[in-house]
Amino acid sequence: MRTRLTDSVIPGTAAAIVVLLAAIVSAQAPSYRAPRTGDGKPNLNGIWQALNTADWDLQGHAASKGPVPSLGAVFAVPPGLSVVEGGEIPYLPAAAAKKKQNQANWTTLDPEAKCYLPGVPRATYLPYPFQIVQSPQTILMSYEYAGAVRVVNMGAPTKAPADSWMGWSNGRWEGDTLVVDVTSQLDSTWFDRAGSFHSDALHVVERYTPRSADTLTYEATIEDPKVFSRPWKISMPLYRRVEKDAKLLEYKCVEFAEELLYGSLRKKSSN
Amino acid sequence: MRTTLIAVVAAAGLVLAAVPVRAHHAFAAEFDQNKPIKVQGSVTKWELTNPHSWIYIDVKGESGNTVTWMIEGASPNNLYRLGLTKESLPAGSVITVEGYQAKDGSTRAVGRNIVFANGKKFFLGLTEAEGAPKEGTAPQ
Amino acid sequence: MGRRFLASTAALAAVVLIALLSQAPAAGQAPSSAAKATTAGKAWTPPRTPDGKPELQGIWSDNTLTPFERPKNLGAKEFYTDQEVVELAKRVREGRPGEEIEGAQLGAANPQAVRYDLELYGFDRTKLRYTSNRTSLIVGPEGVVPPMLPQARERNAARAAKNKGHEFDSHEQRPLSERCLLMGQEAIPMTPGANEGNLLQIVQGPGYVTLLHEIDHNTRVIPTDGRPHLPQNIRLWQGDSVGHWEGNTLVVDTTNFTNLTAFRGSSENLHLVERFTRAADDTMIYQFTVEDPATWAKPWTAEVPWTKTKGPVYEYACHEGNTMISTILRGARVAEEEAAKKGK
Repeated sequence: MRTRLTDSVIPGTAAAIVVLLAAIVSAQAPSYRAPRTGDGKPNLNGIWQALNTADWDLQGHAASKGPVPSLGAVFAVPPGLSVVEGGEIPYLPAAAAKKKQNQANWTTLDPEAKCYLPGVPRATYLPYPFQIVQSPQTILMSYEYAGAVRVVNMGAPTKAPADSWMGWSNGRWEGDTLVVDVTSQLDSTWFDRAGSFHSDALHVVERYTPRSADTLTYEATIEDPKVFSRPWKISMPLYRRVEKDAKLLEYKCVEFAEELLYGSLRKKSSN
Repeated sequence: MRTTLIAVVAAAGLVLAAVPVRAHHAFAAEFDQNKPIKVQGSVTKWELTNPHSWIYIDVKGESGNTVTWMIEGASPNNLYRLGLTKESLPAGSVITVEGYQAKDGSTRAVGRNIVFANGKKFFLGLTEAEGAPKEGTAPQ
Repeated sequence: MGRRFLASTAALAAVVLIALLSQAPAAGQAPSSAAKATTAGKAWTPPRTPDGKPELQGIWSDNTLTPFERPKNLGAKEFYTDQEVVELAKRVREGRPGEEIEGAQLGAANPQAVRYDLELYGFDRTKLRYTSNRTSLIVGPEGVVPPMLPQARERNAARAAKNKGHEFDSHEQRPLSERCLLMGQEAIPMTPGANEGNLLQIVQGPGYVTLLHEIDHNTRVIPTDGRPHLPQNIRLWQGDSVGHWEGNTLVVDTTNFTNLTAFRGSSENLHLVERFTRAADDTMIYQFTVEDPATWAKPWTAEVPWTKTKGPVYEYACHEGNTMISTILRGARVAEEEAAKKGK
């Protein structure tokens, strides 16, 4: 017997259930499932690089004049959107003032100019590629810039013996995401060329999630109660270097920074 | 004596006599053998940096003023393997340093011999047990 | 000058053993039979990585008492007997009767040659050991580096002459190691000896073997797909390394060195072949052959056993903490000013 129940309510409810189920399924299923390594883990091996202006300035910025007038448009500041969720970095008032000072004097203060190790997360989005070499117990990340490197411990977490430039990294898997907890970084690194800085209380949690065969989503949550009013997060894609025989070359920039560091100690020629 | 040590160390494969040794820097270029120093002071800071660690000590001068000396120690990687951590050094420890002053005349010196007031060798004295605690072994 | 140089080198070298001693396995043993395996004769089968390659991973030390070159009095003797090794090691650890070998004494005898009192850093000579029965790391009947060709001698002499009198003019004239550009222990081929620590961490991923030196955090990420080298116009401090597997041995071929890399006075034509074979769970045989027709009359080969050791590998940020070069340059400027004042 046909009633309103059979004609409209039941089909309508059924349709609603189908839609709801589809929504649940798609929310649970990752949009991309990466191939696995021999030990069954998501395969993150490869040479990766960020394609943005985060190293110039994590926050959104228009293009602006560069620091070296003679280099003109070769070395001016390119424009870029913010990679910070919410747009701005939540500095504490005193820290905000220091950031401004840093930015005004960045050519003499930025550790990148001196070819100092960049720390995490800056190492990820410097304009140079890096390589992930993945084994079950250890994931090594080798950065072309300054030959920076770090070893992520994938076993039971261990404690840092001391502070270091690249910090101490303990990693684990959460589904398809590599989560890396980074502590014990020296306070000597910056986050970008715009003077964004931190203290020795910095704690970074990174997430590397495969989003397609040749891209990763990189997220980093930054926490430092001495500098920021709350934790904040950056997010960006990382692109695989897909060219044949792609390789990290040497950017051993120490020799490019020496004049800056030691030029004033040069012997004055008397003739 | 010197000859014997060289012979032993040569046997140890450490002296690559025929090699243009790439010592990572010339001691004689950085520190002045004609400026030996012996100072006593209390520790204020300990920098665990490579290639050398640095101990900052406050030394009381003759006129009562305080001078800060920077004393160079070995690579922290060596110190970690002795069992030391950044927490090992109590500020205020009084140490005596024998060494050589930097050639640029600054109050910086290499600490050839560093001891506590009680004569105990500095880095070894910072470890928990007699000698460095080896992995997994309990202090005696 | 020669003696003092030797002594300072000896002292420096001895000092820097210290990092290794806490990792060295128990002293007093003859090297394991696996360590004596000098060619691929031993049939120990290594475990496999998840992608099916021989497992080379771990943290390794090349600490050894074996000298790089064979002592002259041994002539063509390439191997000691087990008994000879035990006696030699005993002599190093205990010293001859009446002989007191202490860093402090070297210091007293030659204070200007010593940077640190060795005992300060826990130097314990009982930990020194041989890791093979070889009389030298360089293999073969001669056991020494072949003579340098005249053209190489001239090339290196010309370079030294150009620098003479200008050694302290600026950072450019200082040694690469002092500039933290290329420290002795991070250069390839990898040789034990004079520098702080010599730990190597190997991490393998599909298609790559990574060698991470503790010294100056130097990292080589080596593709194992047998790809061609970079074009000749691209020169690297550490050269360009490509690898492939031959059975259980990783073979790494390196070319494209700069002309400043100069391994033992070599030119940019240096060609290095390294072979890594895991001989036992805790032993790796590292063999390298060096070839440079612009420097040596013939190629030469050395073999270094590595021992597995406890980590971790610590960060070594040389450049960031480099005060020595500024102290040295400033010292030279101060000396010049003082000399000028006296002169004028």
